[in-house]
Amino acid sequence: MNYLRPKNLTELTRTLSDASAATQFVAGGTDVLVESRQPYFSKPQTLIDLSRVDELKSISETNGLIRIGAMATHSEIIAQPLIQRQAPLLAQACAEIGSQQIRNRGTLGGNICNASPCADTVPPLLALDAQVEVLNEQGLRRVAMQEFFVKPYQTVLQKNEVLTAVYFPPLPDGYGSAFYKLGRRKALAISRINMAAVLKTNHHGIIEEVRLAPGSVFPVWKRVAAAERFLTGKKITDQNFMQAGQITAQEMIKISGRRWSTPYKEPVVAALVKRVLLMAAGLEEQ
Amino acid sequence: MSSFNIIGKREPRVDALGKVTGAAKYADDYNLPHQLHGAVKYAEYPHAEILSIDTSEAEKVPGVEAVLTYKDVPGANHFGLIPNIRILADDHTRYLGDVVAVVAAVDRRTAQKAADLIKVKYRELLAVFDPEEALEENAPVIHEGGNEIVHHKVRKGDVAAGFEEADFIIEKTFKTQPIEHAYLEPEAALVYPDEHDGFTVIGCMQNFYTSHKVIAAALGLPLNKVQIIQSTMGGSFGGKDEAATLVAVRAALLAQKTGRPVKMLSTREDSIRQSYKRHAYKLYYKWGCKKDGTIAAMEIKAVADGGAYASMSPFVTWRSVVQATGPYYCPNVKTDVYAAYTNNNFTGAMRGFGSPQVNFAIESMMDELAERVGVSPLQIRLRNAFEDGAETATGQKLTHRVSLKEVLIKAAEASDFERKWREYRSEANRTKTFPKGIGLSCAYRGVSLGAEGVDAASAVVYVQPDGSVTVSAGIIDMGQGARTVMAQIVAEVLGIPLQRIHFLEPDSGRVADSGPTVASRGTIMGGGAAKIAAENVREIMKHTAAVVYSVSPAHLGFRDGKVWDDNGKSSRPLCTFEELTAACYARGKPLFASGVRHVAETNWDEETGQGNAYFTFVYGANVAEVQVDSATGQTELLNFVSVHDVGRAINKATVEGQIYGGVAMGAGYGMMEEFIQENGEAKTINFDEYYILTAMDVPKMKAVIVENPDEHGPFGAKSVGEPAVEMAAPAVTNAIYNATGRRVQNLPANLEEVRLGQKLRRNVQRASVACKIEPK
Repeated sequence: MNYLRPKNLTELTRTLSDASAATQFVAGGTDVLVESRQPYFSKPQTLIDLSRVDELKSISETNGLIRIGAMATHSEIIAQPLIQRQAPLLAQACAEIGSQQIRNRGTLGGNICNASPCADTVPPLLALDAQVEVLNEQGLRRVAMQEFFVKPYQTVLQKNEVLTAVYFPPLPDGYGSAFYKLGRRKALAISRINMAAVLKTNHHGIIEEVRLAPGSVFPVWKRVAAAERFLTGKKITDQNFMQAGQITAQEMIKISGRRWSTPYKEPVVAALVKRVLLMAAGLEEQ
Repeated sequence: MSSFNIIGKREPRVDALGKVTGAAKYADDYNLPHQLHGAVKYAEYPHAEILSIDTSEAEKVPGVEAVLTYKDVPGANHFGLIPNIRILADDHTRYLGDVVAVVAAVDRRTAQKAADLIKVKYRELLAVFDPEEALEENAPVIHEGGNEIVHHKVRKGDVAAGFEEADFIIEKTFKTQPIEHAYLEPEAALVYPDEHDGFTVIGCMQNFYTSHKVIAAALGLPLNKVQIIQSTMGGSFGGKDEAATLVAVRAALLAQKTGRPVKMLSTREDSIRQSYKRHAYKLYYKWGCKKDGTIAAMEIKAVADGGAYASMSPFVTWRSVVQATGPYYCPNVKTDVYAAYTNNNFTGAMRGFGSPQVNFAIESMMDELAERVGVSPLQIRLRNAFEDGAETATGQKLTHRVSLKEVLIKAAEASDFERKWREYRSEANRTKTFPKGIGLSCAYRGVSLGAEGVDAASAVVYVQPDGSVTVSAGIIDMGQGARTVMAQIVAEVLGIPLQRIHFLEPDSGRVADSGPTVASRGTIMGGGAAKIAAENVREIMKHTAAVVYSVSPAHLGFRDGKVWDDNGKSSRPLCTFEELTAACYARGKPLFASGVRHVAETNWDEETGQGNAYFTFVYGANVAEVQVDSATGQTELLNFVSVHDVGRAINKATVEGQIYGGVAMGAGYGMMEEFIQENGEAKTINFDEYYILTAMDVPKMKAVIVENPDEHGPFGAKSVGEPAVEMAAPAVTNAIYNATGRRVQNLPANLEEVRLGQKLRRNVQRASVACKIEPK
């Protein structure tokens, strides 16, 4: 097995030309190192360790967009005042991942590229209208978050491409946001369902804009356009939020059919849509 | 005011520093030059006939030194209480953790690679995974003689007459899940040939006297040719009995074959796949009750899933049958408890040992009764609770202090139970998105093994010529604090500081067979033996002192590191402990003595289920306070109060540690732990999927120690290890009821159970109905 550790973006670009289907990128290693001990793990020919590429680590704001390097760890994102201020739902999601040790190692890029349907950072990024930046030999290209996922554990990344950064506009004043995670315990829990929302209302309590992104609900990540359409122009009420929840649950069943988990997920997805919208609106759930 | 010097003190653990600094050596920390590493070949079907085993490819792998199948076992390949556990599978596989062959090679990877090359031909048999189905007439037979492992009965009074007399009947069915012990350290052993045709085994075995016998029998050697050295243990909770023996004996067979040291180590996945679990139970409870809240009759049936081998099922279910009616008066009782073989992981000893299952049912029923009668859970328990001199369902008259009402009242007071219970059952609370709830439970528990087995323990105390002391007991420290407790007991008897005592981990040649470190008997039995041994040494010292100082031995006292003449009128120091020690050795009196602790008579009639089951009992009560998310079913533990009458706390900090750990483990059983198998295949084989409570999930806990000294225990001490865990789950589910008005009847109370009142399972075609797996 080859082990490559490019020191900068130029070196990384050079390694991409030799990348094949048997190439495995390693970011924080919290997935790859665990998987590699499983009997079913097919050993890659080449491991490309991204940990020394400094250009992939920075968090900054330029030209009205926030850029988070793919190798920024969850802990770094949580601690970053820019994110706390301008994208608090992402900081919240990172804070609920795994444990302190995992948050110290795990990276935003790794969480996205692993493409698990329950990844905690994806709903906030969808709700933030994020784009991802992809590097290949030709240079950089940008892909909308919503277009990035093909199916569970598979993205649009080609064998010689790597994710380098995530971009999104900071939440403007007057936008509320929230992230909610339902797990089987308070730490080290894989999300059963997670949910992110961004909400803008006018001073009459009428919803002007809403973005709703649930996790572990659809096989391929997406926002719930039908629920967003329903809510736009309506008042923020428990009833409207609950109905948006029911629309989301129906959308889930329409796409995935009724499965063993549906008796639980149907009512709970609906309830959590309502909950995350109330949180985004700054309201208490009774 | 107690007159003790060290007993009852919050002395730090004598072994804490080594564990914190890393100096402590666990089984896998031992290595020897030229050692080989073992690997196992697992069964590929939960139930199959083995037609042939081809090891030729494995043997060709460079670096492989031995490949063994059952044919290579020189001695006994079977062991167990009912000796049907196979060290290496012979004619059949009975669960997917069966091991068909073992390999020793220069490193672990090579050994595993070779093991994967072993080819086994099977004839697949119909399997059964449900104990009730296993007991049906046409079920696949897993062991000769049928699938019923045991059927225990208790018969008292006339249940038909009792139900006749009753004003109303409460009838409910409960289910409990299998769970994993989740000890921090997986099983490991290092076995090496020694210079005198024997073998030394270093390992983490909870019951090393049993392991000793199994290993010697398998190797075809007398017991004195096999020496067991107990390494520091990273937890066990009842789990490192047969499971650890299997790992050690396989290493021993490979060491015997190769003549080299062999290390056998389970990964977490190996450990969870192979090891036995806590029994899943199905429980049918029917109570005939009166309007005044008393109980006229109880009819109980329970069926336990014993899995592939008998293991401790006969004893586990015996404790269930004895304690199935709880600590409550009832004149008419009919209880039947069964254990059945299935093709699941076998089940055996786990902290609680047959009590957590029945306690969940009993304490849920008691709350149902309170609801029907219209009194609080506390009032209904006080109305039915055993008192001094009560007669149990097995006809045993309780002659010790029965402190059930005392612990109940203390638990209720410490948690403000009555007020909160009333507040939380209101509509105003229950209709909230996040209702709160509070739940009460209590239990009694027979101490030590009871009439299920021979019960004696030994210890040796050695005062060395400089006055420092070593103590060893046939009881091991698996993290519960036995080393500290034993050292405190000896220090108290000899009147010297704890720092002068060193607890030596027992080995098979040092202390006589003391039975297993189980059944919360470490302190009462091992501690009792250590006290007797220390007293025997002190007698030798007293006689010497009497001669040297011309005083009456009856007047001698040992305290503050000195020997005193307490002649009734005054006290005067005669000499230091060290000076008397030197005097003893100078007169040819070595200070070495053993002590043996026997227990009071117990008895049992298998047919009627009547008898003095245990020589004494302990009493405890728990209160859990929760907040339920009614939208998702998520339950948050807010507060927990755990009250236990331990007889006497030898070390208050250690007792509290046992209580805190017990609450975490018992609440986890109530809320989330579940070992999931699909057609016999273990699905939750590491801690990313097998959930136990994390530090974030553990509630605020308050431990309340009650002390009613018991004549049978050292300084009055009884037990706490298992009592701490065995009643937490129903406190949690009763709290959920208080919050929601819905009763959890199937453990664990996970998201789906609390939200929907049922478990959800992935759709798996059931193998016991129609199993068609492609032949491998």
